[in-house]
Amino acid sequence: MIKGYAGRVLEVDLATQTYEFKPLDESIARQYIGGKGYGTRLLYDTTPAGIDPLGPDNPLIFATGPLNGSVAPQSNRFAVVCKSPLTGGIGNAACGGAFAYGMKRAGIDILVVKHQSERPVRLDIDGDKSEVKFLDASDLWGKGTYETQEILGKRKYNAVIGPAGENKVLYAGIVSNERIAARTGVGAVMGSKRLKAVSATGSRKLEMDDEEAFKKYTAFIRDHFRDHPMLGDRLKRCGTAGIVSTTNARNILPTHNFKYGKFKDAMKISGDWMEDHELVGVKSSCMHCPVTTCGRDVNVEGVGRVKGPEYETVSLMGSNLDIGNLKNVSEWNYLADDMGMDTISLGAVLGFAMELQERGMFNAGLTFGDPTGVSEMIKDIAHRRGVGNELAQGTKRMSEKFGGIEFAPHVKGLELSAYDPRGSYAQGVEYATTNRGGCHVQGASMYLESVGPLTINPQSLKLKAEIPVIQQNLACAINSMVLCIFTTYGIIPKAIHEMSPNSWKYKLMATAFENSGPLMRWAMSIKGKPMLWFEKWLTYVTGTTFSSGHLQEIGARIFNLERMYNLREGISPAQDTLPDRILYEPTFKGMTSGHPLDKLLPKYYKIRGWDSNGIPKKSTLEKLQVAI
Amino acid sequence: MSVTVELTYDMSKVLGTETFEVEGVATVEDIIRRTREQFGAKGEEFEKLTRVTAIAVNGVLVNYRRGLKTAVSDGDTVGFVKASAGG
Repeated sequence: MIKGYAGRVLEVDLATQTYEFKPLDESIARQYIGGKGYGTRLLYDTTPAGIDPLGPDNPLIFATGPLNGSVAPQSNRFAVVCKSPLTGGIGNAACGGAFAYGMKRAGIDILVVKHQSERPVRLDIDGDKSEVKFLDASDLWGKGTYETQEILGKRKYNAVIGPAGENKVLYAGIVSNERIAARTGVGAVMGSKRLKAVSATGSRKLEMDDEEAFKKYTAFIRDHFRDHPMLGDRLKRCGTAGIVSTTNARNILPTHNFKYGKFKDAMKISGDWMEDHELVGVKSSCMHCPVTTCGRDVNVEGVGRVKGPEYETVSLMGSNLDIGNLKNVSEWNYLADDMGMDTISLGAVLGFAMELQERGMFNAGLTFGDPTGVSEMIKDIAHRRGVGNELAQGTKRMSEKFGGIEFAPHVKGLELSAYDPRGSYAQGVEYATTNRGGCHVQGASMYLESVGPLTINPQSLKLKAEIPVIQQNLACAINSMVLCIFTTYGIIPKAIHEMSPNSWKYKLMATAFENSGPLMRWAMSIKGKPMLWFEKWLTYVTGTTFSSGHLQEIGARIFNLERMYNLREGISPAQDTLPDRILYEPTFKGMTSGHPLDKLLPKYYKIRGWDSNGIPKKSTLEKLQVAI
Repeated sequence: MSVTVELTYDMSKVLGTETFEVEGVATVEDIIRRTREQFGAKGEEFEKLTRVTAIAVNGVLVNYRRGLKTAVSDGDTVGFVKASAGG
């Protein structure tokens, strides 16, 4: 067995209450690494087209990668893969909670949960004994994720759902500690199985091919991260909400249901403001990531100290609702986490509901800029009560029922995250083409054009088809190792962060970058020696050489497999688009329209090796060894 | 002419305000100079911060236009921008 893997896949059948340990398929592991790559391959191969995402035939796949269980920073995460009930296409999400560590300690690379239980159940996995207990969870059913995890105890590593998952809210997530595998409704699938929680324990140690080299190199990289302006300073000091001031100044902070890109009270919901006014105690981090510590704790009245909101939440449940009060956002963030819901989709749904209300199209009882009723609505959504039952369906279904399709902020049914693509063209292409829908962490193109330390003109067409392809491929590989995407923020060296953005040197570098399309694609495709830390970690752990070119190829393979899955499930290329508001309503002075997707999509398809209709060519699939 | 200036959080702590209006300026460079002059010692500290901060006019970085010589007009918003990462 390749080092880094436990070598086991655990299949659990909730209907028959049986389980089986099977060997990991090494050939799949070599081609797809693990995480969402392995999970997608399994999903494609073991399910027919057209299954009901909330029916018994949709498997819920928990997947780790070969670095999970090591002490590498940002490595302790697990992925979840299934057919998405929100989009009808590929569903996947990742989470930084300790369940990944539990799985690897239990000696399990992949956990496949099949069919449905008749009654609420939880799984207790003892990896050392190779034993799975099916325990009655009726006493936990209805409880929030915080209380559920408290009851299960800290001696085990747990993945749980809250009431939102139990009630199959289409954007319910799966929670582990204070983190959540949020997107695409993976929690609803878990709820459809009446599976409340999975716990895993064991004492297996991760075996590495060259442990000494791994440890030595990891110590070096920890110092590099600590010294890095973004990973060791900015993110550490202000968390992800520190980006609010950046997106606001660049006119891409979603405001008033994505109608505007600028919010008058942005500063009051920023990470900087949180640092000075709301932060309490020690800042939190995922297991084995002591360097970045991007999480932070706040006080919620009536509850006490809890994990505070991230950027996506302060934007989509703050500026997007015209709310400039961190206390409100913190309370709603806590509620969403406790109910087990994706705050991105939730915030976008609330904003959409507010605009429908404003236009007299739907009575949600919610108003922009007014926090009244929002807390109650979050609970109503989680329990599918009254109007909450409509909002639990997501913006796509709401718009089909009540109108407002042109300003419903989703792509393929997945609500947009908090970077307005009218000021970030590559991000817009990424939103339109990412297989799971309107997502930013399966590429993060905006870092290179709108928010990072070295950015190209976000409203030029140059590189805007190339960047999403490279970033999506890299992100696919990263997500299959199940590393945190923040690991890629360390790629831009300290010297560039310290360069004056107004200097001629900076302008020269940005210009060179902007004109580097073919060179960049060639450089990223080279299969040479591992250079970056995640390439080296993977090489030291598995004994197989991984370089930029290897990861781009694996990433492209995974991306194309996801694409083929979506096509099989009826997600046509016609859905490679953006909401009309984003395409046609300008937000920048002097502009007459929105995002120029029509100018960029053909080139994107060509770079991908797809035909003009957005279908992967046979030659591309063969070259990438994507078996269909 | 009145231009709105929006500061980063660090700058706002130095100058004691998040935003202010400036009149009678033609370029971004004018704004920085006028602000430095208006705020005295604090203005000098502000100017130091501008050297490590990007600048946007109506959301568009001046790097893509004429740098500090980028023209501003009545009703424009000039924002100072720090690099960041989100999630």
